[in-house]
Amino acid sequence: MNRNILVLSMLVLGGVLTTVGFIMAFFFTPPVLGPAVTNEVGRILGYQPLFSQKIFYFHVPVALSSFLVFFFTAFYGVRFLMTKEKQYDTRAKIATEVTLMFVILTMATGILWTRFEWGRWWVWEPRLTTYFIMTLLVIAYFVLRNSIEDEERRATYAAVFGIIAFIDAPISFAITRIIPSSVHPVVLRSGGGLTGSQLAAFLIGLFGMLMIAYAIFHTRMREELVHDRLEAVKAALEG
Amino acid sequence: MAGEARGLSLRQFKAILHKDIVMELRTKEMITSMGLYALLTMVIYQVALSQSGTAFDPRNIAAGLLWLAFVFTSMLGLNRSLVHEKDQGCLEALLLSPVDRPVIFFAKAIGNLIFLLIVQVLTIPVFAFLFLQQGSYAGEWWMIPLALLAGAIGISGVGTLLATMSVNTKGKDFVLTVLFVPLMYPLLLAAVSATSAAVLGGDGSVQQFWTGMGMMAGFDAIMLLASFALYEFIVGA
Repeated sequence: MNRNILVLSMLVLGGVLTTVGFIMAFFFTPPVLGPAVTNEVGRILGYQPLFSQKIFYFHVPVALSSFLVFFFTAFYGVRFLMTKEKQYDTRAKIATEVTLMFVILTMATGILWTRFEWGRWWVWEPRLTTYFIMTLLVIAYFVLRNSIEDEERRATYAAVFGIIAFIDAPISFAITRIIPSSVHPVVLRSGGGLTGSQLAAFLIGLFGMLMIAYAIFHTRMREELVHDRLEAVKAALEG
Repeated sequence: MAGEARGLSLRQFKAILHKDIVMELRTKEMITSMGLYALLTMVIYQVALSQSGTAFDPRNIAAGLLWLAFVFTSMLGLNRSLVHEKDQGCLEALLLSPVDRPVIFFAKAIGNLIFLLIVQVLTIPVFAFLFLQQGSYAGEWWMIPLALLAGAIGISGVGTLLATMSVNTKGKDFVLTVLFVPLMYPLLLAAVSATSAAVLGGDGSVQQFWTGMGMMAGFDAIMLLASFALYEFIVGA
């Protein structure tokens, strides 16, 4: 019962915090100055306030959350391999579902920003590429799960793939940054430090996202448990 | 005692590798299918490049085309090498025998590495003959084998783990593709960069080559260690 109250309050609090962070981002944070560029590549005319930067307060918390939740896929994968208990497999699966949600949100907001700032829907830029790869890895995780019928084998394979994928994601991030791509010039804006109110809006958004992630995780977990109990009852009635 | 165990593991390793090589020498199945597949990929390249005009120099994308061919042929080979084991009940027999799981992993991975290297060595001259006749080779010659080896090690190491998983699924080769491509992405990016530096040469190519090699070495070390550690769970399940 206590867990339910905690989950519910986390959900409400997370909703409130992300909303507050959102409002703060638009009304209380100073705009960030970005270069005003002409169509000629790389010629900076001057600086102008960037309205599109506001997406930072949504996009980055979501992106960070996705990485953090993906960590739990690997973590529960390791726990499963150590204990062979079914609950850890279920946890890993749900963590990956939550990761997929956050990764898709990250991709969507990232593409919007790319379209607005660089004038193209898609650019093979390190962060976008990494996220694209991560989306594929998360989808691959579910493809793998769906193509195995034996329950224990499915759990083991999924755990192993979850761990490997989690190791692969940061490597992918590092390599896309270090290997220069000659096709598209990488436009990276050096980020200055955040001012107080900017940091506050960002952190409030981040904590809100993490609370929502926690709430979704446990709600799904309960659903799975209820589902298992239902299956057990059905089996008992038939037998 | 420890030395004895090590000697035993080495003998087991040699036995499994020997079995794969003897089977290949008798049937010639892997090399034929992978080599033919690589050759057919070249035909597809010709179609893909057929409208690119005379000003277009295929050398600029040679490294990418080569690795594309290697990715597809290696997926074919990896799948086959494990399908054999499974269909003929060989993997089960191996698991019943008192062989350490890591030994199985290394033997299968080295076997796959050898086949992939053979295919690479066969493909490169054919590719050069078909696409790179105009213009000269500009880089340092020793860079090519190093880049090929570093890439092949990663592909066959992680690929062996993934193929062992995918042969036990309903989708088999499709599942292998879905798992393999995104996991290999960073390795391929580094491999293409290093190979490209080797093919094109020019200013900064040596540095670009070593950056790529360093990335590949890092990927190989980390991912091989992970695959090695996790293989035991996969074959046991």
